[in-house]
Amino acid sequence: MQKTVLSVNSISKDFLNVKAVNNISFTVGQGDIYAFLGPNGAGKTTTLRILLDIIKPDSGHIEWNLNGKQELVPEAEHIGYLPEERGLYLDIPILKSLVYLATIRGMKKGDAKKIALEWIERLGLADRAKEKLQVLSKGNQQKIQFVASILHKPEFAILDEPFSGLDPLNQEIFIDYIKEINNQGTTILLSAHQMSLVEKVANKLFLINNGNEIYNGSLSDLYQTFGKKIIIELQLKSHVNETTFQYLNGVESVNYIDDLRVKITFGQKTDLNNVLLDLTKVDGICDITSHKPNLHEIFLQLVKKQ
Amino acid sequence: MMMKYLKKVITVTRWEFSRFFKPKNEALGIVIMLVVSAIFYLGGKYAFSDTDKKLKISALNDMDVSLTEILNNNYVINQIPKEDKAKFIAHLRNERDGVLLEQDSEKFVLHAYKNTRAIKKLKTYLTEYHKQREMQRIGLAPEELTAVLSPAPVAESFLYTDNSMNRLVLSYFFAGLMILALFLSFAYQFTAITGEKQLKITEQIVSAISSQVWMDGKIFGITLTGISSMFTYAILSIVGGMLFFQFTDLPASGILDYLYLPSIAIYLPFALVGILIWNALLAAIASIITDPYNSGKSSLMMLPVVFVLASFLVTRDPDSGLSIFLSWFPLTSATSMPVRWAITEVGYWQAAGSFLLLLLTFYFLRKLAAKIFRVSILITGKEPTWSEVYKLSKQA
Repeated sequence: MQKTVLSVNSISKDFLNVKAVNNISFTVGQGDIYAFLGPNGAGKTTTLRILLDIIKPDSGHIEWNLNGKQELVPEAEHIGYLPEERGLYLDIPILKSLVYLATIRGMKKGDAKKIALEWIERLGLADRAKEKLQVLSKGNQQKIQFVASILHKPEFAILDEPFSGLDPLNQEIFIDYIKEINNQGTTILLSAHQMSLVEKVANKLFLINNGNEIYNGSLSDLYQTFGKKIIIELQLKSHVNETTFQYLNGVESVNYIDDLRVKITFGQKTDLNNVLLDLTKVDGICDITSHKPNLHEIFLQLVKKQ
Repeated sequence: MMMKYLKKVITVTRWEFSRFFKPKNEALGIVIMLVVSAIFYLGGKYAFSDTDKKLKISALNDMDVSLTEILNNNYVINQIPKEDKAKFIAHLRNERDGVLLEQDSEKFVLHAYKNTRAIKKLKTYLTEYHKQREMQRIGLAPEELTAVLSPAPVAESFLYTDNSMNRLVLSYFFAGLMILALFLSFAYQFTAITGEKQLKITEQIVSAISSQVWMDGKIFGITLTGISSMFTYAILSIVGGMLFFQFTDLPASGILDYLYLPSIAIYLPFALVGILIWNALLAAIASIITDPYNSGKSSLMMLPVVFVLASFLVTRDPDSGLSIFLSWFPLTSATSMPVRWAITEVGYWQAAGSFLLLLLTFYFLRKLAAKIFRVSILITGKEPTWSEVYKLSKQA
């Protein structure tokens, strides 16, 4: 049975009149890559700050179970944290910064230096270890920031928006890093708003909007429950009225991407053959594609339901 | 738990110290200071070289011979005819040099471009001449005049006899070093805290260590930096003092007359805790500054200097009520108590009590600073007001 390393119970937090986090609960099991997913301002960062005791919740409580000890606040040695607001000492050599940040998390200086050098070499920056951080490109600075958060080999890493500000190539590299440290035994809790990237890396999800829980569970269950619908995208020669599509069998929603492109969602028990037969009666269709809903579409669906 | 706390404080302290104490920069600063001092010294010597020359005095023909004799030792006297007086005065406007001395029986008239130190000195010789003339007039012998002008014969008996000029110099030296250490600490502390906030490192740091560890490490690290600089400059000053004695044909050991060890022994712990206190206060202020260039709170950084300068008041009357208060009040006692100790009689219990108060103030001030820091990092977007910080501190 999977061991629970983090248990969050009914936490809430208000800022003046805004409910940033509203009575949310979830658990993270050992070895999970747990993604906190939601739009900007949904309450992701506030939740993560509460977990780290940077902010106190108004109500609810948190239990950590790391290194065989149950605690309300995790010990820094066992936690890695990549904050959303990135920052490092720009005027100090890269290696020196990394070693310092690892030592304040309880790592021995010698060990920290050895592992920092290994990471720096992996990033292709071996010859620049003693240079100041400010001479690196923004992408490389982000990588160093990531290394700073996991250098001490934490049992649990919290990564707040790890993909933000990265180009597509670096986003893929970060996905590999996250999978790698997870394979080495680090449980990951990450927050993001890039659903397509989260799909590639997470096994469990917490969907949040306006501080409220929308979904909490495994990615496979989410697809099992909400991913069986059929989405058909039509390219039209000329505009066709919405009512034409609304009367098709099994239609749940009709959304126009633009005047000549429409996305139709059918219920999960709908037979694709029947849909195609019905569509032959509609004039002006010049292209047709179908797919199962992706995470982004499921999220929108759930937000609408809420 | 305590060991873990201490270990982390030491890690942060060492980090802050290594960030800001740069022996190379320190050495460079000293070299620059020596060069600037040399420039001022040599420049001053050059600028005032003219004043060492004998001043030219033009005297009208009918000047008294005895006056001419007095002046001849210090001035170049040039007798000119009375008819040239107008010509000389006209000449003064263009040349701005020289003095015309006119004697009209008991009265003198001086003509010069402007009043200078040399004119003031000349007046003392004229006064001397005037005295001699008056003595002759009333028939008073020089010995009699000396007896008249001599001070009252008073035999002095003091219980405290160590308030010499040497001790006063030492107390000014203490206050000066304290100001130096504070100024350096302020600059570093301000950069350390606001810089870290601007670089957005704070959140990462406070997720790893408590705000108290962060604050204590900063206070100790920056204080150590200030103290190190203070020691560097103290040693440099002592070496400078020894050289001064050497060059003035006095033995280099003359510096020891100034270094009164009991005062130094009192000064060191007071200075250390005093700088810690001010660093804690400064750290609390810096914690709530988001933009150091546009914050009105930046001016508060000058506050400690006012208190240190207040300690100079103690040298005027170390036994006054104000001096006693300043030597107990924790924000001024770090310099005031050692200054009083150097120049007057202070009981051991007073020094111990004042030091204990200083320590207690530091203990609570660092806790307050950590609390202010903790609540201030939660306020984003705009700089918090003092009332907002107070409200949040109460909630925290």
